Amino acid sequence: MSDIKYLETHEWYLMKDDEITVGISDFAQNELGDIVYVTLPEVGQEFEKGAAVVEVEATKTVADAYAPMDCTITAVNSQLETEPETINNDPCGDGWMFKAKVNTVDDSGMSYQEYETFVS
Amino acid sequence: MDKKTTQLHKYHLSQEAKFIDFGDWSMPFSYEGTLKEHDIVRTSSGFFDVSHMGRLEIQYTEIEKISKLICSEIVDIPSNKALYSIFTNADGNALDDVIFWKFNDKIILIPNASNLEKIKSHLVAHNVEFIDKSPDTVLIAVQGPDTIELIQDRFEIPDKFSTNYTENFLYARTGYTGEDGVEIMANNEDAESLLTFLTEKGVKPCGLGSRDTLRLEASLPLYGFELTEDITPVEASLNWTITNENEYLGSNRINDQLSGESHKVLKKFTINSRKIARTETVGIAGETKGLVTSGNFSPVLNKSIGFILFENMPSHDLIEFDIRGNLIEGNIVNKRFLS
Repeated sequence: MSDIKYLETHEWYLMKDDEITVGISDFAQNELGDIVYVTLPEVGQEFEKGAAVVEVEATKTVADAYAPMDCTITAVNSQLETEPETINNDPCGDGWMFKAKVNTVDDSGMSYQEYETFVS
Repeated sequence: MDKKTTQLHKYHLSQEAKFIDFGDWSMPFSYEGTLKEHDIVRTSSGFFDVSHMGRLEIQYTEIEKISKLICSEIVDIPSNKALYSIFTNADGNALDDVIFWKFNDKIILIPNASNLEKIKSHLVAHNVEFIDKSPDTVLIAVQGPDTIELIQDRFEIPDKFSTNYTENFLYARTGYTGEDGVEIMANNEDAESLLTFLTEKGVKPCGLGSRDTLRLEASLPLYGFELTEDITPVEASLNWTITNENEYLGSNRINDQLSGESHKVLKKFTINSRKIARTETVGIAGETKGLVTSGNFSPVLNKSIGFILFENMPSHDLIEFDIRGNLIEGNIVNKRFLS
């Protein structure tokens, strides 16, 4: 898990070669409460770092998940369309949201320890 | 300023509740999750600490004075009844929606937490005497289809919307979830034994998160959202509460609206999606514009539901919502969300 990095906006990403897998942190899902719906991007869509990629509807509020770096979507987790609660149950595993090809590398995310300090 | 907590705060902490600020109060939002608690109340039994709400004890002799301040008949209903009603101002607008518990010798008035001080001032201004029991008591709502069976060995169960009492408790078969159940008022010193009784019976703690999804699914308004000082009971589609045939504060305007004067109108809606039209989302039905007052996901219907306030009676049942820049269609529903 040591390769997972976190953003101040509570996404996590795992970079392997030139592809990232992205989701939201355990802290974020806990703050949002029960997630009932997600609007996923389409494969091939391009996003700049900081652009809203996924809209997350929870019973408490709605929030966006942002692109950690410039990227092009290569896969989305379609399981979330029918079982959005997977994000609550396993945010950093089965609850991943999308994979994307990195267009501009920006590996400036926080380590787990840094993120834990950030949210505490 | 530190938020107020209820007498049961230590218990909530021990259950690792998540808290939410609600007016001046820090209250449990959830324990095991909003959807799980929603399901508990729809299928078995859950309890809510609603001690943030007010509890005013009023001598029965004050009842004629109260009758001049609310839109419902209170004098002639039997003395063991509970009554949902609305305090109106001179313009007929809602000061608060409240529950009255009638007993032989007294009335317990339960205002919303955010309106307690306002209602107390209102009563003082109209010479209604009361004792504020809120600081010395707790209020627990026990709700769900298994509730009556679980608690009947300790509580003699009254008819629906009726009151009863034991040596230590005042209670009524009322609630805010659409399920059967009771709401129980206890002195602070009796709160812990009540809590122990409920938890030993397997009744699960539930927070304000599920209380909100449950009340919305049960088509019940929430003060501050559906009801404000800018809406009458007629506009809020609460005509069924208007049973006071005598003159009361604001009754002229309410009667004018009942006689056909045009007015804004609160409607319920569903969206065939889980995308939520939240508070202040704009919705257009035909030519008529509306603003969502509350919207959330309905676990039972598995779709998005809510209330919307239109400028006047819409001529179409189809609503086009602008949800964060996306146009989403919904429908006005005229019956209750749950049958």
